[in-house]
Amino acid sequence: MNNKTSGLTPDLHAQFAENSKRYEKELTFGGWFNNIWRSIVSVSKGMYITFRYVWAEKPVTIEYPEVREVLPENSRSRLFNDAENCISCLQCANACPVDCIYITATRRDKEAEKIKTKDGTPIRLDLQQYTIDTALCMYCGLCTTVCPTECLTHTTDYEFASYTLDNMKYDYLADYIRAWRDRIVKD
Amino acid sequence: MAIELIENGESIKSDLLTLNMGPQHPATHGVLRVEIKTDSEIVAEAIPHIGYLHRCKEKHSENLDYRGVIPFCDRMDYLAAMSMEWGYALTVEKMLGTEVPRRAEYIRVMIGELQRLASHLMFFGVYAIDLGAFSPFLYAFQKREFILRIFEELSGARLLYNYYWIGGVWNDINDGQLRRIAKFVDEMKTELDKYHTLVGENKIFIDRTANVATLTPKQVYSYGATGPVMRGSGIKWDLRKDRPYSIYEEFDFDVQVGHGEKGTVGDCWDRYHVRMREMHESIKIIEQCLDGIEEGPVMGKVPKIIKVPEGETYMRTECPRGELGYHLISDGGKTPYRLKVKSSCFTHTSMLGEMAPGQMIADFVATIGSIDIVLGEVDR
Repeated sequence: MNNKTSGLTPDLHAQFAENSKRYEKELTFGGWFNNIWRSIVSVSKGMYITFRYVWAEKPVTIEYPEVREVLPENSRSRLFNDAENCISCLQCANACPVDCIYITATRRDKEAEKIKTKDGTPIRLDLQQYTIDTALCMYCGLCTTVCPTECLTHTTDYEFASYTLDNMKYDYLADYIRAWRDRIVKD
Repeated sequence: MAIELIENGESIKSDLLTLNMGPQHPATHGVLRVEIKTDSEIVAEAIPHIGYLHRCKEKHSENLDYRGVIPFCDRMDYLAAMSMEWGYALTVEKMLGTEVPRRAEYIRVMIGELQRLASHLMFFGVYAIDLGAFSPFLYAFQKREFILRIFEELSGARLLYNYYWIGGVWNDINDGQLRRIAKFVDEMKTELDKYHTLVGENKIFIDRTANVATLTPKQVYSYGATGPVMRGSGIKWDLRKDRPYSIYEEFDFDVQVGHGEKGTVGDCWDRYHVRMREMHESIKIIEQCLDGIEEGPVMGKVPKIIKVPEGETYMRTECPRGELGYHLISDGGKTPYRLKVKSSCFTHTSMLGEMAPGQMIADFVATIGSIDIVLGEVDR
């Protein structure tokens, strides 16, 4: 490449030409054939490895809608709160880094019937609202680790896409949550 | 070749062509925009524009308690999230003076090296795609899938783990998982040689990468590049060996540097080969971990509400992509006063402007691939 045709940046072209000259060895007759030989050998070695996958290796993919992968036990997917065992301690809401858990609770009447959670902790507050904005949740798992009664857990359910953002707000006191609870959570 | 127009005996000169690569370009590994000025097909100037993935991680950390920062550390380098957490956990432990149990240290080293394997496998696959080969990507992902599965069983997530906690690790590893890891690393030894024959020894690959974007040690020092980019230029420096943290001083492994087998020292092929050989070293470390792992607890004694004493500290770790540094300043409260992250990918991105001039555009794609940047870590 000479400077006449190099157009705008002669220095750059000169540098490029110099670079390519520095690294290029002089092409001899033997070198030319050697080049071709090395190409053929290396490519056919690669082709041998690739073609082995046609017969020697088993397929590893899962055909998703027909075959569903079972996630490990402690996989962190959709959150579930078993509202009957919740003591409204607000620890999960405090631990949440993105503040996506909304809890409202009122003091329970002294005359009212004394109730306890499954593990025997007395419930002193009435849970009025327990909502998790699943669209905001980042599935870090910090809320489940602080839960004293272990009512807030990650389920292994991963199919909960929804058309609207509002549908991603789960009110765990509502009935429809119970429905998918029975489907997913096995105890 | 630039066309020279001649009108009335005088040449008309045009400007350099400005070309935007990215932010949605498959060769830029995320949302990096590189503004390149080209003369014909030769790059005259390359200006990386970053910030498309900026999520205010450092500012965000100032409003979170010390445990809550960890999930955000994951989201920096999402391909090596375990290593990101490890650096942060070490920083806070250094200030708290927490002692991490031996078993937790072994698990940390083992998982950290598995993460390095996963990250380098990702590099291997994506670099092959950049240079026009698709099948290596699938082979690499198949093996990476196993590592992600183990991580999922341990932590519960596939990419953003929140597994390294301050004072230890979240869950214990069981014998079945250890056996599976042992079998896997045994397979990986032959598998890696196969990958290297398939890609690294290929004549087309060598022609595309050898003698391309050569970095001299002087350039490396002046920019402050670290990790495989630095070692590719022949500088023997690895924090695991030279400034051992955790229990790395107990393990026997070599630091791999580039020798310039196919071209000159510090070219793209060297950076590729350093990573491939580093995977073998990771396997060595994992095997030693499997032999030496001790029984015991996996969490040290950490108060329920972490309050770090007043002061500041700087801690750096060797991540798959280079050195990661955390500068933590505490005023004694529940949240960090300031958490500055020193990222290696940021440094490497700034080197693009140094490497690009005088290159073909196609070689520039190979250059971006060889420094293996993750934009989540660059922008934070």
